[in-house]
This record gives sequence, structure tokens and C-alpha cells, in this order.
Amino acid sequence: MKAASWLGWQVEANWADPVLFLAYSFAKPLATTLILFFMVRVVAHGAATRETFLFLFLGNTFFLYVSEVLVGLSWVIFRDREDFETLKYVYLAPIRFVPYLFGRAMTKIATATLGTVVALLFGRFVLGLPIAASPASLVSLAGVVVLGLGGIVFLGVALAGAALIMARHSMNLNEGLTGTFYLLCGAVFPIEVLPGWAERLSLVLPFTYWLELIRRILTGRAYAAPLRAISDGGLVGILALSTLGLAAASLLWFRWCEHTARARGLIDWKTNY
Amino acid sequence: MTGDALAESLRVNVAAILARARVRVVASWRETSWVVGETVFPFLTMSAFVLVYRGLHAPKVYEAFVVLGAAMTAYWNNVLWSMASQFFWEKEQGQLQLYLITPVSRMSILLGMALGGMAMTTTRAIVILLGGMLLFGIELPAGRLLPAFGLFLLTLAAVYALGMILSSVFLLWGRSAWHTVTLFQEPVYLLSGFYFPVRFLGAAVGALAALLPITLGLDGIRQIFYGEAAHGFVPVPWIAPIEVALFALFLFLAHRALLLMETLGKREGRLTLRGQ
Repeated sequence: MKAASWLGWQVEANWADPVLFLAYSFAKPLATTLILFFMVRVVAHGAATRETFLFLFLGNTFFLYVSEVLVGLSWVIFRDREDFETLKYVYLAPIRFVPYLFGRAMTKIATATLGTVVALLFGRFVLGLPIAASPASLVSLAGVVVLGLGGIVFLGVALAGAALIMARHSMNLNEGLTGTFYLLCGAVFPIEVLPGWAERLSLVLPFTYWLELIRRILTGRAYAAPLRAISDGGLVGILALSTLGLAAASLLWFRWCEHTARARGLIDWKTNY
Repeated sequence: MTGDALAESLRVNVAAILARARVRVVASWRETSWVVGETVFPFLTMSAFVLVYRGLHAPKVYEAFVVLGAAMTAYWNNVLWSMASQFFWEKEQGQLQLYLITPVSRMSILLGMALGGMAMTTTRAIVILLGGMLLFGIELPAGRLLPAFGLFLLTLAAVYALGMILSSVFLLWGRSAWHTVTLFQEPVYLLSGFYFPVRFLGAAVGALAALLPITLGLDGIRQIFYGEAAHGFVPVPWIAPIEVALFALFLFLAHRALLLMETLGKREGRLTLRGQ
């Protein structure tokens, strides 16, 4: 896992000097933050702007982990298999593939963390958002983020499994799935705005509880109306249980995909149109 | 060049354009996952931004801004991922050298990619527009469809010509091309006002963003459909001539950039990877 993390870092960053690499890493979170900032600003006014924007800002900023890790892990398969043509050699090496993926995920988590921290500092000090950050809240935040990341990484493993049996351009599918989560977990709008069926789907996703917890920790109040009756401890419990369920389902799915890919000879597949 | 040689050259180049375009058109329907990934999921992502405005109780026209912006996003992403970075992928996979030894213009290969890419992306844009109309009740006034479509075509021509320039530049940038795409994605969504009128960025930033044909095109299309409510940045009558000028300029620059890329690449041995 350590070697895979280092490999991931080299693949991601060894082509550029650190300053340039950081600039690339910050571009996405800052741009999406500003898009939402302008969207709110053009239609809302005064205090409503700041309060509403804070809700959007936190959801969008922490969702960066979901998009980076989910999409990133699928790309690991496509890049290793088709660009570097090294996937077959990884299979030949005396390592297990899932820990290898965990290692590669660490790189994605590191870059997502950089982006998230910069976006939070930008929100706090440039946009003047009232984000509370006592030492105790930071510890709680770190715990909740790590717990949520567990679910994200396991879902990433599931998508990596799907990537093993899909052509390269199916990347759109994985990116689209991230967009679906962006829609359903209420990253940028209250989930009560969703139609009833979509709201029920939202309540099945661990990310919905994860983002609500993060918002509560950083602002001290509840946001999503359907979750107001649930205490912080209750949300942590739901998040932990759903992460465990997701982990089990993802590992089973990955094993099936891996078996199928090997049976069909797809480990060194090349697809490009 | 004699008349016969010119005719033969034209025939070969047209065949190359059609062949490169065909690969993309056929490929876009070959994989079911692509069809779903290219249509349903981007629509869901766009819906999140529509719901942001709905959550803010914004006027309905803002939801229409998002839908039109999302349709144009599809083309911009196609330019970035399937035009700008394509030569880089081709180099990594060993196909670039095959293009270079064929007796056709590199511009024909890029034009084929562009036409195929447009056809491929139009499916996604249509789904976004239809979904926006049917599910979110977005209105596109029928009487203004023709001028809007005309401006849309001019915009596409200029945007894909820009993609031709970027394909050479990205190839020379090597592996940083990958991250450059990221740099050109969300920041351009912001600067081009894909989800809100670009006028709200202020005159200076708006003017800078207007160098991108997609900014002007989107601004113009919104103004054609929604008039004053679109909060236009550049007067509509100016936009078409600017797009034509940008198209001509970008095409010229693309030709120069391709020559430069090929010369530099050959001199520095960067057109192939070691072992190919």
C-alpha cells in the first residue's frame, strides 16, 4: 500500500514542480466555489446570501473528496491498463490488488485534502464566511472526514472494479455517477427540494449524512430538514453502519468484476476511439 | 500542383476527414455504457445546479441559463478531452506517428475529430435540452430557435478551431496536458458564465472571458431567447461577426501551431514514446 501510494504520487506529480502542481490542484475547488458564490449572489441579497452560500460552500468543498477519489480510482485502472500498459504487471507482482488500490487512493485523498483546505481558507478569509474552528471541532471534523472517506474509498474500489470490465470511454459513466451523488446527497441544495422519491434515495446514501455532520460541526446547527430529528451521535452511527455495508458490497462486487475481467482476458485490454 | 494532383489531394483529405469522424460516430453508439454516461448522468449533474436556483427561489429564467450552459458544457468538455488532449493520447498509444506518415493534412485529421466530436456530443446536448424542457419546464421560444441555432453553429466552429490549436499545444506540453485540461475545465465554467450571466463577473473579467468563443456564444444565445432578462454582456449584433473573426484567426493559428508542433517534435524526438 505504501509503494502504491508513492507510485500514485509519482504518476500524479513528477512531471511538474510543486508550485505548478499545487496551482492545478487548487483550480477546481476554487473555481467551483466561485461559481456557486456568483450563482447565489445574482439571485439572493444581504444576510440570506451569506447564510445560503455557507450551506452550499461546505457541501461543495467536502464533496471534492467524493469526486476526486471516485473518479481517480477508476482512472487508475484506465491509465494503468491502457496508457502505461502496466496493469498486467501489477497483477504479476506479489501484491494483492485491493490494497494496491487503497494505496493509489491515498494520493487522491492527499490532493483532495489540499484542495479542500485551500477552499476552506479561501471561504473563511477571502469570502468572510462564519466557519467555526475550535480545536475540539477540528478533532470531530477529522474523525467524521476519515469515517466518510472510508465509504468513499470502498465505493471507489467498486467503480474501479466496474472499470476493469468496461472500455476506457466508460469513464463518463463513473464521472456521471459522481454527478448523481452530487445531486442526490444535497451537496449544493437542501435535500427537501428534491422530489419525494429522490429524497428517499438521498437518505440511503452515506454521503448525505456525512455532509450534514460536517455542516453541523463547522457551523453549529442542523441543515437538512429530514435529518433534524437525528442527533449528531445518531448520524455518526448511521454513517458507520452504512460504510460497513458499502465496504462489504464493494469488495464482493470488485471480486466478481476482477474474476470476469481475468476470465475474458480484459486485464490488458486497449480501447480508444 | 496540377489539376489532377489537386483533385486527388482533395479526395484523399475529404476521405480522411470522413474516416476520422466516422470512428467517433460509430464508437459513440457501440458502447451502451457510453450512451448512458454521455446522456443521463450529465443531465443529473446539471439538475443539481438547476435545483440550486430552485432552492434560492430564483426566477425561472435562471434555470434556463443553467440548462443552456450545461448543453454548451458538453461541447467544451468534448473540445478539451477529445480534441485538445487527443494528439497527446494518440502519441501515448502510438497512433500519432501513423497520422504523420499518411499523405493527408494534419488539419484534415483534426477536422474529422471535430466533426465526429460534434456529432457525438450533440446527443448529450439534446438530452440535456429536452430533459430541461420536460422535467424542469424550461422554455425555448420556438420563434427564436433559428437565429439561436445559427449563432450556435458559428460558436461551435470557433470553439472547435480553438480545440485544434490546443491539440498541438497540449501535445508539446506532454504530461502536464492532463492537468491542463483540469485547469481549462472548471475555471472556464466560471469565466464563461455557464451557470450565471457572465455580466455579473464585471467588465474587466467579462472582457477577458469573451476571448473564448463559447462565452460569447452562450451570452448571445441566452440574449436571443430571453432578451433583457438574459443580462447580456455583448450586444447580439456584434457577436456573430466576432465569432467569425475568431474562427478565422483560430484556424490560421491552428495551422501554424501544427507546423510548429511537428517541427519541434521531430527535432526534439517528442512525437513518439520510447519503445514504440
